[in-house]
Amino acid sequence: MRSDIVKMYKDVHTWTGIVSGLFLFIAFYAGAITMFKEPLQHWASAPSGFGELTPLEDTPELISRVLAEYPDARKGYQIILEPSAKYPARMNWELSNPDADDHDTPELMHANLTAEGHLFVARSGASPVAQLVDDLHRQVGLMLPHEIAMPIMGTVALLYGVALVSGVIVLLPTLVKDLFAFRLGKNLKRLWLDFHNLLGIFSLPFHLVMALTSAIFAFHDPIYAAQEQWVFQGPNSFIQRERRQPAAGAPTGEQLAPGQLVARLHEQQPGFEPRRMIYRDTPRQGPSLAIFGDNPRFGMRSPEGGVVGLDPVTGDILMTDYMPGLQNGMGATITSFFSLHFGSYGGNTVRWSYFLLGLGGAALFYSGNLLWLETRRKKLKQSAPLQQIEQRRSARFLGPLTVGVTLGCISGISVTIAAAKALPVLVSQPGHWHTAIYYAVFLAALGWAFLRGTARGAVGLLRASALATALIPAASLTVALLPGSGWNHSDSALVVDLVAAIGALGLALLAGRTARRISSAPQDSIWYVGAVPVAAPSGPTSLRQA
Amino acid sequence: MKPFRYSSRGWLGKASAGLIAGFLLALSCGGLLARFGLGGVAPFGVEHQFTMWLVAPLLVTVLSTCFLFRSVRQAWLWLGTANLLTWGLLLAI
Repeated sequence: MRSDIVKMYKDVHTWTGIVSGLFLFIAFYAGAITMFKEPLQHWASAPSGFGELTPLEDTPELISRVLAEYPDARKGYQIILEPSAKYPARMNWELSNPDADDHDTPELMHANLTAEGHLFVARSGASPVAQLVDDLHRQVGLMLPHEIAMPIMGTVALLYGVALVSGVIVLLPTLVKDLFAFRLGKNLKRLWLDFHNLLGIFSLPFHLVMALTSAIFAFHDPIYAAQEQWVFQGPNSFIQRERRQPAAGAPTGEQLAPGQLVARLHEQQPGFEPRRMIYRDTPRQGPSLAIFGDNPRFGMRSPEGGVVGLDPVTGDILMTDYMPGLQNGMGATITSFFSLHFGSYGGNTVRWSYFLLGLGGAALFYSGNLLWLETRRKKLKQSAPLQQIEQRRSARFLGPLTVGVTLGCISGISVTIAAAKALPVLVSQPGHWHTAIYYAVFLAALGWAFLRGTARGAVGLLRASALATALIPAASLTVALLPGSGWNHSDSALVVDLVAAIGALGLALLAGRTARRISSAPQDSIWYVGAVPVAAPSGPTSLRQA
Repeated sequence: MKPFRYSSRGWLGKASAGLIAGFLLALSCGGLLARFGLGGVAPFGVEHQFTMWLVAPLLVTVLSTCFLFRSVRQAWLWLGTANLLTWGLLLAI
């Protein structure tokens, strides 16, 4: 390939990468954690006051009592078949909120019948922290209103797509030579480049999927609007066919009980494990029923599974557009885009793989920034070994920014997760506290990185991240040692403590390595901390040289 | 004459052409598929969704390759012509 083209694409790769890299780090780190959103929410949520779900055979009674007493539920409600922290009771419905738009998470009320036959209605009390991590993932770390955050996220996704293509073009001429090379030598830039290329090329399909799907997640509304405006207009309005209606119109007659509907569904689709039933009743379309559930043999459209539409009167399957295994080719293709992004196929094996690929992605973006710094740092000339090296202003800005944002994100997420077990004791409404804690830690880390410079900042912040992440199992341990001070679930929630403990250990190791690294760094390295040995107290004057 | 060599000069102009003309091109390709390939699509049905999804790979492809035009003018010229063709096919026939 022509060297000028490679050189040009190197520029493209550098600048698209440097603009999007830190946003992508946050998106990937938070996204990796989001693969375990449900166990995390379970870990973070106190046991609900609901107890066992109302038996399925008593559910018709529950439904009629709720519909009589709570008009909000008449528009639609859910029947839960598998309880979770988010859906702790047999039935729930949305509180009406005229100010909410499509993208706001609706507030739910939950209901059970007690053993004595009383109606027990309450909010779930589930911890909002898992949703916060998911929001940080979807909005690349910016907790701004949806309509501002989405264009930013979409732009980052497009830059990321261009960075992937240009990165491959840059690597192509030396791909065969470089692919399996991992040169652990004196040349640190070479080492980082080999690491970056290795990670990038072997997880390229994953990254291409993420870039393309995220762009659509960000921009689907404007694209649909543009299609409406320009494509399906005038001579082309005929392109839009009528949506096919169920032949018999809206179902009429006595609805089957939830238990009977589940049995009817099982007859027709034995491989599908239903998790929740969504009942709707609108004046235009009449009563309808959609059932969310899993079929591990297929890819599913959402992290919460696939969906099937049933006739609530007969229990016959009506709508299969999103039903794993019953979709037509086009429907399955669309579903594959979603499931490839969410990792909602292949069960726990894929979930863990995506977790690791997500962390690997975060490492890819971090190493990309390091390469930028290594390329731009001023090197000590052999001819003038005594000259003073003052790194460029861009390096003195990007170094602390990289260290502060990445480690600030890790510490912030860890501290706010750990706080889930302490906040309910301290405040009555933990909601916004989690966001405030995340940003307080994140901004403190960023400020610290700029105050201390890249090298010293990295050591301090790696230690802080290790400590912050260790707070997660420490919170559980505190509860175990002081009975009555909180809760510990003795099931899948333990994985959260285990993974956090391993993460804390890894970060502590990195902190130790980095501390040793900066004490031996040559003067022209970005890790150089000044002529003073590390052990000596460092005043503000020596910091400038980092 | 010196042989032409690529450089990142004019990157903003090329990228703008790639973004704007690339987006419109992707949109019209979705329309062409809907009209001539799928024989119409139901609003928000899976076929309609597919034509919307098409925008991402097409746009990223154009955005990544637009730097291979030799100048900003050429980028607009080629991508503009491609748009005229696709939109013409979509709206005039």
